[in-house]
Amino acid sequence: MVKVSNVVKKYGDLTALDHLSFEVKSGIIFGLLGVNGAGKSTILSVLNGLTPIDSGDIKVCGFDIKKDIKKIKEISSIVPQNLAFYDKLSVKENLDFFANIQNATKENYEKAIEINGLCETLKQRASTLSGGQKRRLNIAIGLLNNPKIIYLDEPTVGIDPKSRNEILESIKSYKKSGITVVYTSHYMNEVAMICDEVAIMSHGKLIAQEKISAFANLEKHFLELTRNENI
Amino acid sequence: MKIFSTMVKKETLLVLRDKKALLLLFLMPAVFILIISVAMRDVFTGNSVSFNLFIKNLDNSSITKELISNINKDKSFNLTSLKKAQIIITIPKDYSKGKKKLWIDIKDTLKSDEIELFKAKLLKDITNLKLKIIKSRLMEFSNEAAGAIDLVNLDTNKLFSIRYNQKNDIPNSTQQSVPSWIVFGMFFMITPISTVFINERKQNTLSRLSSMNVTASDMIMSKIVPHLVIAQIQAWVMIGVGMYIVPLFDTPALCINGSIIALIFLSFALSVSAVGLAMLIAVSANTTEQASTIGGILSILLGAIGGVMVPKFIMPHSMQVLANISPMSWGLDGFLDIFLKGGGINMILNESLMLLLFGAITLAIAIKILQTKMKKGFT
Repeated sequence: MVKVSNVVKKYGDLTALDHLSFEVKSGIIFGLLGVNGAGKSTILSVLNGLTPIDSGDIKVCGFDIKKDIKKIKEISSIVPQNLAFYDKLSVKENLDFFANIQNATKENYEKAIEINGLCETLKQRASTLSGGQKRRLNIAIGLLNNPKIIYLDEPTVGIDPKSRNEILESIKSYKKSGITVVYTSHYMNEVAMICDEVAIMSHGKLIAQEKISAFANLEKHFLELTRNENI
Repeated sequence: MKIFSTMVKKETLLVLRDKKALLLLFLMPAVFILIISVAMRDVFTGNSVSFNLFIKNLDNSSITKELISNINKDKSFNLTSLKKAQIIITIPKDYSKGKKKLWIDIKDTLKSDEIELFKAKLLKDITNLKLKIIKSRLMEFSNEAAGAIDLVNLDTNKLFSIRYNQKNDIPNSTQQSVPSWIVFGMFFMITPISTVFINERKQNTLSRLSSMNVTASDMIMSKIVPHLVIAQIQAWVMIGVGMYIVPLFDTPALCINGSIIALIFLSFALSVSAVGLAMLIAVSANTTEQASTIGGILSILLGAIGGVMVPKFIMPHSMQVLANISPMSWGLDGFLDIFLKGGGINMILNESLMLLLFGAITLAIAIKILQTKMKKGFT
């Protein structure tokens, strides 16, 4: 589904992605772990075509990121860590807007609302939603185009455990719909709970990639691999 | 097209829900129009210049008594107490015999042009009196010759009538202030437009739109439409304030002497230039603080240079030349052409085309900057 080969991305003197290579198989939930500044958000942005790379190759569903960026944007979706919607619009107005922008079908529109449990909040102004509801709206917008692959950048940050569990359950359901999920998080238990495969990043490099079953104790393993860094 | 219309709809909702920005855009220029129109009212009606006088009459003849009576009737002079007087006129003994001058003491600091004006007004009263004396002496010899004195008339209103731009209407303070604050109010859009845009960028909403294949030109052009509409409403509300609210404060109403079509065209061109500049600042600034500071300073600076704060006709020549670099000046000239000179499309065509060109250039630069930022991965 995604093949990243020897990718380099620099911001001035800072190397955000340092000859990074990994593969994501189709239909799985792929976890990306790493301390702050490891390059997780950068690679998600690169994979969605929002940030250009300096060198290397990326293929998403067989499309080359350098040549087929428009097509890649059509079949993928990114849910940024920030709440990227309009506070002054209602939930429905936000969903209508992003659905129309992407020519979403009615079926996908309704599915995004249902999976994320937003039926009761449609008329509510986005600014008045709870933290968990805002996160769910943020994710729902990412599902409107029925992506083949969705990139979730720390989608559960700053919310209560109940909302977190609801979001994690909904993410598991994407897999059943055939959507490949690339997921970044700081929370080991979340990753262990939902991911099929995990990659650990450090200083823009991949330092480990295994099936989740290969990590007997993911947290311990992560701390060992990143012990010299600030989490 | 669907993307564009969806974006326009979203922008319109956002603009309409930003009550504080709307209040600022409508209330601020409306209040300024009221204040400036009322404050400048007398400057245009000609009742503004009057001097507080105290007259010390040491002559006490019938002639000097008549002179004082004439001065008292003149609206340019207020006879007052010694304490309140700006100017003290001393009529020396034997003044009526024509051998002595009047003594004039200036108490307050009057500007030289005010003193000249005072002298001219006083000269009129003195000359009228002297003509009357000459007439009475001539009458002893010839009624016909004395009658010729009546041909000498110092009342300017009887000697000539002044027409302003081919019309008999005298321009009023409202006609001067409404254009200024329409122009300034439109450019005040810079702050709300750029603040909203930068917030969208900070929240990653723009990068999300970019991930949905929305282009930089769609992002910018969709913002223009609702703001152009708001600007048109703003202009007409300000004209309405000038026509219907200002007269409630005993100040002349605004008269649109010129063509309504010209007014619509000019107002549209002005709003294109204001929105263009606003978008340029929005894409160039990195923070809302930067945008509001740059936007605020630029609005005030362009307003000051362009004759919004200080009318261009009282600026020195060099400043009047400098004023021509400000789009606010082009807009202001256009509105004054319509309100004061009764202008039509032909009269405001140059200003309007310059405003449209300015708007097109600033928008093109804004789109280019946004495209570059998006290519670099920074929206």
